[in-house]
Amino acid sequence: MKVALFVPCYIDQFYPQVGIATLQLLEKLGVQAHFPAQQTCCGQPLANSGCERDALPIYKHFVQTFSDYDYVVAPSGSCVYHVRKHFDKLEQTADVQHVRGAAYDLIDFISTVLKVETLPGAFPHKVGLHLSCHGQRGLHQANESEMTPVRDGQLHRLMASLDGIELTQLNRNDECCGFGGTFCVSEAGISARMGQDRVADHVLNGTQVLTGSDMSCLMHLEGIVRRAQLPIRVMHAAEILNGVVT
Amino acid sequence: MSHAIRADKFLLDADRTTWHDETLWFVREKRDRAVYAVPEFQELRELASGIKNHTLSRLDLYLREFESAAQANGVYVHWAADAAEHNAIILDIIQKEGATRIVKSKSMLTEECHLNPFLIKHGIEVVDTDLGERIIQFRDEPPSHIVLPAIHLKKEDVGDTFHTHLGTDKGESDPQRLTEAARQHLRAKFIAGEVAISGVNFAIAETGAVVVCTNEGNADLGVNLARVHIAAMGIEKIIPRLSDLGVFTRLLARSATGQPVTTYTSHFTKPAPGKAMHIVIVDNGRTQQLGRPDFRASLKCIRCGACMNTCPVYRRSGGHSYDFTVPGPIGAILSPNIDMKKHASLPFASTLCGSCTDVCPVKIDIHTQLYKWRQVLGEANEIPASKKWSMKFMGRVLASTRVYGLGGQFARKALRLLPHGLTHAPSMNAWAVARELPEAPKQSFREWYAKQPQPAVQPTQPQIPA
Amino acid sequence: MSTASRERILAAAKANKPEELPLPTVPDFGGEATIERFTTVLTGIGGTVVRMAALDELEETLQQLFPEARNTSSPLFRGTVPVNSQTPTGILAEIDLAVLPGEIGVAENGAVWLPEANMLHRALPTITQHLALVLDHRRIVATMHQAYAQLPHTGGYGKFVAGPSKTADIEQSLVIGAHGARSLVVVLY
Repeated sequence: MKVALFVPCYIDQFYPQVGIATLQLLEKLGVQAHFPAQQTCCGQPLANSGCERDALPIYKHFVQTFSDYDYVVAPSGSCVYHVRKHFDKLEQTADVQHVRGAAYDLIDFISTVLKVETLPGAFPHKVGLHLSCHGQRGLHQANESEMTPVRDGQLHRLMASLDGIELTQLNRNDECCGFGGTFCVSEAGISARMGQDRVADHVLNGTQVLTGSDMSCLMHLEGIVRRAQLPIRVMHAAEILNGVVT
Repeated sequence: MSHAIRADKFLLDADRTTWHDETLWFVREKRDRAVYAVPEFQELRELASGIKNHTLSRLDLYLREFESAAQANGVYVHWAADAAEHNAIILDIIQKEGATRIVKSKSMLTEECHLNPFLIKHGIEVVDTDLGERIIQFRDEPPSHIVLPAIHLKKEDVGDTFHTHLGTDKGESDPQRLTEAARQHLRAKFIAGEVAISGVNFAIAETGAVVVCTNEGNADLGVNLARVHIAAMGIEKIIPRLSDLGVFTRLLARSATGQPVTTYTSHFTKPAPGKAMHIVIVDNGRTQQLGRPDFRASLKCIRCGACMNTCPVYRRSGGHSYDFTVPGPIGAILSPNIDMKKHASLPFASTLCGSCTDVCPVKIDIHTQLYKWRQVLGEANEIPASKKWSMKFMGRVLASTRVYGLGGQFARKALRLLPHGLTHAPSMNAWAVARELPEAPKQSFREWYAKQPQPAVQPTQPQIPA
Repeated sequence: MSTASRERILAAAKANKPEELPLPTVPDFGGEATIERFTTVLTGIGGTVVRMAALDELEETLQQLFPEARNTSSPLFRGTVPVNSQTPTGILAEIDLAVLPGEIGVAENGAVWLPEANMLHRALPTITQHLALVLDHRRIVATMHQAYAQLPHTGGYGKFVAGPSKTADIEQSLVIGAHGARSLVVVLY
């Protein structure tokens, strides 16, 4: 199994520890992932802004970078969703089709490919899950409240398997945090309000550590938590799992 | 003016924003409970989508079938290419009747065509009889939601309005008593009404009937007391068979308000003896939308409003922030078809979270269409120039590893070295309105990785810990 | 005006429509066609269900339910106000209670099918202050699919009525008795 690590641009620059945790966690699970240095971005920021055409060279660069690998794993469901769904704009060569199918969110990869649903380790904190919309509704990594009252999902199962952990019951299980890529600046007012409301739900229900598998949502939520100086720690799921699994 | 600017105005009143969000979330929760209680709900959505897709693929044939059946029922059928023609046809019917007192039940189409101001300009009193519509008619405001037209108002606002227009006690804000005052007021209008205008929820090709769904009973009361019934419908309201209604009536109210069905599901097929019935079939941009493969699915919409109730943006920006007859996610994909320039910001008023798509009872891929409208707007140069050029620049940077690495280093250094007051000034940085920027680390992931002993790139076998 | 637009609209619809897609077959879905389910659902949406052993108990049942109703109208017994399709609005507007035979009850949503032939006047079921629908309990079906399957046609006018008239247009506060009947009783026999 030849696995590449895709570290999205903002994680590379601002959250290197999440990339490191992802790499180390995969290693502990027996997967030696490789980081192809020529990688840049999936192109989503441009495409979501209405500039898909300008993103096409980025898509091609992405495919060239990763076409030799069996899997491309990223600690960000949103980028993976973009590759899977929106690389349909490229000519569907064998390489393009392969890369679209090979792209996995980290938690999805652990659950679906490695078939790991429980992990040994303890994390004795009250943990609130933030389900990223692209991971949940796009990649179907968790049940959706629009469809069913049953709360279940890959991250939920992995986290619930840790000793001593208590998962927060939120009033709104899976409402969007309001990040939305360039939305966070083009509609800054609404974006901030959505994030504040999301964080308030966690505060109200006792979250100590807020986690998820998509660092972009977490970057936004962390910005709000720090501005309001709330007693909540924001961590990517890879950081928690890498920390507890030996 | 963009959606963001109008949204910021709504957000200024933080308490009202909270209230608006919670009130509509409450409707979404009622919808969830109703949906969970029907085991075949997802199958029904698939069926509804299939029936609508089929109908659109034979739309001209079904329209002809519907017209023939309606005419055989003794109904007059009219065709309007656009809003102006729709309004002219209705005015003509009213004038030929010599009528001046018109009662109207809810019709988003007549809102879309701005029928009320047109009729009033021609000296005809038109009374909206849906309670929410009557409230906003008194206030001279457009609806802010397609199912709950006055949801932007609090009961105290309604109390003030009724005090002014209906003479209720000053300060009276009890919904029960306000509704009773409206009932008495509107009864007199129903009894005096000469012509009744209604919308159409479904038009059945097989029988030529139109079906109207209400909770208040205002459509039934208006139509059945007036001499003339005018039903206005968009061409997309057609469904093939009476039996298809079983699917749609099971979905509509559950999706809209969480009710198992609307109180009245009324089938108007023939005029009562001695009375007249007209149906006005309207295009107004719909055949153009039918010709856009990426966007034609928006014509499946049955106007339940579920996408508004679930939309985290709509709930916090209010319906008026969309400045279009149909607000919310569905409005954001319908409006650019009508006027791309005017509504250019609406497809961007979304995080693309996809909840709208997942509640849609006819499975319109709303968030995908939002994404696709963004591309159409980008290609048509209808996005802000600064955004366009920065995206072009990013495109070149991100397609090249070397330039990307340098840019990132520069940004991180700048963030570390520049004072907080500068990096977080709201005028410079919309992010910083309510959020701290990430703390810039000394080294990027790739810098760290380069210093690690490099593993050989070779296939590995996963070892799962016990 | 209309003829040219008709041709234009039909031509544009024909030119712009996608390739033909199949019309799905709607399955029956089964479901619970019980008095209990019907009663629970109708009660939940503000209606009332009353049982009686046989149709001849109707007047006595109504007397107990609506002791104060003065102006009553019904095709099932001699009410105080005779109504037909020509009855003037002024008389209709004074009716307290209309008692009409329903045809089909739908357990999943508490709706009752009321065809024009059973209404005396098309406006009667909504203009009356209170409405009672009389229904044979054997005519309860599980779902709307089954209800439509049993309808031979929908006549000139007909409707499903599910509970009393209501609105939540002011702050989402539920108020029973908007413009139509203030209460709805289904009398099952």
